[in-house]
Amino acid sequence: MLKRTDYLTKNYGKPDGWTLAAYEAGGGYRGVRKALMMSPGAVVEETKKAHIRGRGGAGFDCGMKWSFMPKPSDKPHYLVVNADEGEPGTFKDRTIMEQNPHALIEGCIIGCYAMGAHTCYIYVRDELHLSKERLWAAIEEAKAKGYLGQRPFGKTYEVNIFVHTGAGAYICGEETALLNSLEGKRGQPRLKPPFPAQSGAFGMPTTVNNVETLAIVPTVFQLGGDAFSKLSALHHLNDGGTRLFGVSGHVKKPGVYECAVGLTLRELIFDLGGGVLDDRPLLGVVPGGSSCPVHLPDEIVNIPGERFEAYNGKCILDIPLGVDTFRGAGSMLGTCCAIVMSDAVDPVLALQNLMHFYRDESCGQCTPCREGCGWLERVVNKIVAGEGTMAELDQFHEIATNITGSTICAFGDGAAQPALAFIRRYRKNFEDYINNGAATQTRSLSL
Amino acid sequence: MPSFKLDGRDVEFSPGETVIEAARKAGVDIPHYCWHPGLSVAANCRMCLVEVGPPPGRPALMLNVLEYDAEKGEYIDAKKPKLQPSCQLGAVEGMEVKSESSEHVKRARAAVQEMLLLNHPVDCPICDQAGECRLQDYWLEHQSTDKRMKDETIRKPKAQDFGPTIVYDAERCIVCTRCIRFSEEIAKDPVLDLRDRGNLAEVVVAPGRELDHDYTLMTEHVCPVGALTAKDFRFKARVWFLRSSQSICQGCSTGCNAFLDYDPRDQTVYRHRPRENAEVNKFWMCDKGMLDYRRIHENRLLEPTISGKSADVGAALEKAVELLKDVDSDKLAVVLSAQHSNEDNFALLTLAQEHLGSKALFLAARPSGPADDILINADKNPNTAGATAVCGSTPPKSFSELLTAIGSGKISHVLALSADVEEDLSPLSDLKALVVLSTHDVGLAKAATVALPASSWAECDGTFVNEKGASQASESAIKPQGASRPAWKLAGAIGMRLGKSTPWKSLDDFRGAVNSDAAAAGVDVGVQPGASA
Repeated sequence: MLKRTDYLTKNYGKPDGWTLAAYEAGGGYRGVRKALMMSPGAVVEETKKAHIRGRGGAGFDCGMKWSFMPKPSDKPHYLVVNADEGEPGTFKDRTIMEQNPHALIEGCIIGCYAMGAHTCYIYVRDELHLSKERLWAAIEEAKAKGYLGQRPFGKTYEVNIFVHTGAGAYICGEETALLNSLEGKRGQPRLKPPFPAQSGAFGMPTTVNNVETLAIVPTVFQLGGDAFSKLSALHHLNDGGTRLFGVSGHVKKPGVYECAVGLTLRELIFDLGGGVLDDRPLLGVVPGGSSCPVHLPDEIVNIPGERFEAYNGKCILDIPLGVDTFRGAGSMLGTCCAIVMSDAVDPVLALQNLMHFYRDESCGQCTPCREGCGWLERVVNKIVAGEGTMAELDQFHEIATNITGSTICAFGDGAAQPALAFIRRYRKNFEDYINNGAATQTRSLSL
Repeated sequence: MPSFKLDGRDVEFSPGETVIEAARKAGVDIPHYCWHPGLSVAANCRMCLVEVGPPPGRPALMLNVLEYDAEKGEYIDAKKPKLQPSCQLGAVEGMEVKSESSEHVKRARAAVQEMLLLNHPVDCPICDQAGECRLQDYWLEHQSTDKRMKDETIRKPKAQDFGPTIVYDAERCIVCTRCIRFSEEIAKDPVLDLRDRGNLAEVVVAPGRELDHDYTLMTEHVCPVGALTAKDFRFKARVWFLRSSQSICQGCSTGCNAFLDYDPRDQTVYRHRPRENAEVNKFWMCDKGMLDYRRIHENRLLEPTISGKSADVGAALEKAVELLKDVDSDKLAVVLSAQHSNEDNFALLTLAQEHLGSKALFLAARPSGPADDILINADKNPNTAGATAVCGSTPPKSFSELLTAIGSGKISHVLALSADVEEDLSPLSDLKALVVLSTHDVGLAKAATVALPASSWAECDGTFVNEKGASQASESAIKPQGASRPAWKLAGAIGMRLGKSTPWKSLDDFRGAVNSDAAAAGVDVGVQPGASA
């Protein structure tokens, strides 16, 4: 169900739309005033009612996550914002930081207050220069107004926000690798448990939230948690509110669109994205960032469980983009930024591109991911170079299967799942490379 | 005690223990590379993965994977359980853990093994680790299939000089980080870390530094593969030719438990390495202690001397008896050694007190040196406590006091067990006779009227008492070198020639005598007959 909203995006594209003045003119910094009138516990409860599913890809309920923070003690609590947006095909958080940074600042103040934190670190991917600039400017503006510092909005509850820049590693978007990097250590995921809520940044209770997750929180306090959740067509599945949907690749109007949860892939591609470029047939779509499986346009879903009965028998393009609907369908919603491929794409080259990325970005900590990602890339490289064999193609899914679930963090699965999905859906293309030679291929990633 | 099930067998655990720790205590070895009982948990090798039954009433967490049906030419959806690393997994009462009995675990281990060898050079024929390499052992136990990746492996730096003792081969490295964790956590010197990422990752020394702390050789011993090799041992021996004896380190009074690795064919010791003892040294030893084995073959006194000239043992014993017999016992001093075992010291003490009537006891010892709060003790002698204890209620005086006594003419004859003393030995030239039982051709032996070659700790069983009072047996490795004999036997032989028969025919006889005599004197020297048979 296509229902466009503009809670986060109303100032996108406007001159000076990222300034504090523009933000307040559009109703900004009202949610935080309401939140600061409530008790921290009540803020957490209100956030739970909003059913904000984490926008970073894992889809964990934001209010629930906040409630895991321990009671205030002599240990400092931290809020850490994951702004290390680096998933290929995902580009929504940077639009918030660039065009609506005060929404994030406001969300951070609410989050800090709810969880007993006085310090918030925003860990920004280093390459996002404009995002950093706009965040720094926004923090200065908010400080000058007294919104940050000793007494935000007159409330005696100190909040300070710092921007910390990454150093160019995809793995630092994994929350515990991010915390290591924030502490100045090598960016490798930590063992869990302990979870960040017990021992996070500098060994202290910490919550790591995605940029968009926090940026939408002020809206929750303007509308009320329940009202916000009910904007979603998936309110009954505890998947509430609105979110940013990205679409890229072979569509006529790639970009970021804010809609109520409940949008389908078909609506995202054809209504918002304007349809496939050159009106060519759709070859496949990756629903949310490159770690999600690729789907064929005519796949029929069958989701176990009564709650999902309404969706069974439908095409994957026609079920609402929700955390649980896509998980149930054996897919993943991820960051909700779809990558669209028309039939002009050579899926073998597309997978090569992905496998190169994952080989390069594997942190090297766990054996299966460190060696497996390199092996997967090798096999695809050989196939693309015309040196592949059927024996190697037959091993490909085994390598990816052996990586799956055998590593400390989700990176291994994030690399293996697209590998399995591509080989499963486009094996004929891979066989064609091997049997008929690489020279006969279109070798096209673009049009 | 709470327990959990491992492959259907009950395994007890103490609260807080991990599955791999509890299994180890129960004698079950869950395969692992990165886990080390003395280091923090890294859980990066993924070899120790196990399948854990879900909590009651909950479904197991299953992951979507694929299988391929070659006949139909199509992929089939499959599920596999999420496996857990047993090194990180805390044991829980009633938990059901499958290790060997799970097909998923078997497959995961074979996969990890295959991945570890994917870019490994497999240069076993020229690798010093061959024969004691986890990659070899686990390949046999958990993989035993041919390598499927036939292409050129990734090239990385080889034979990198990490410092005075260690060489690193990045291609053989499995990035388990044991050496890094050891340096940081045990040696307290975070001099190693990783560089680069993914399958290009390698261990590096901090810029501007060398791997040169006091425990560098331990990095080689914790390395489960041939990535780190010790310069001292490289290309010297193949481990399958070596045998190991259980020794006690002679480097200081900590008394680290060790293995002496020797080749029985050429009666040569090649390596000294730590042996686990939770009470004394845990899993560790220092570089000095490990390299101390080289003294076994260096600067040894291998034949007797009379006035500096070579002699045979019989002649030397006769000469010694001639010099010591009928000496005024007030003028005769006996020197025990903090570097010799309780057995050697006790035999000399018996000879001195019962057969020669001497009452002037002194103790020769290596001078003190640097210490740390890890293992290294300032007392550089392995048996100060034992040599003192055998003397009972009258502890021996220091060696420098002996020199003073000689200088003032109070002492004219000395019978000594040697040690690496560093005092100025010139007063010894005033002596009428100096009989020395010595392992090495050191100052005391050189100054001796009669020097008798004694076997080193590598050549005879002995008991040493460390600074905490723990009495520990050390086993002989090789046969006595040259004409040397255990010092306690030499002392017995002198006694026999003095006409005092001693009933010691074997070490067990002797140790029995030591214990009963020591007990009679109210001393516990902890010498156990047959303890190191």
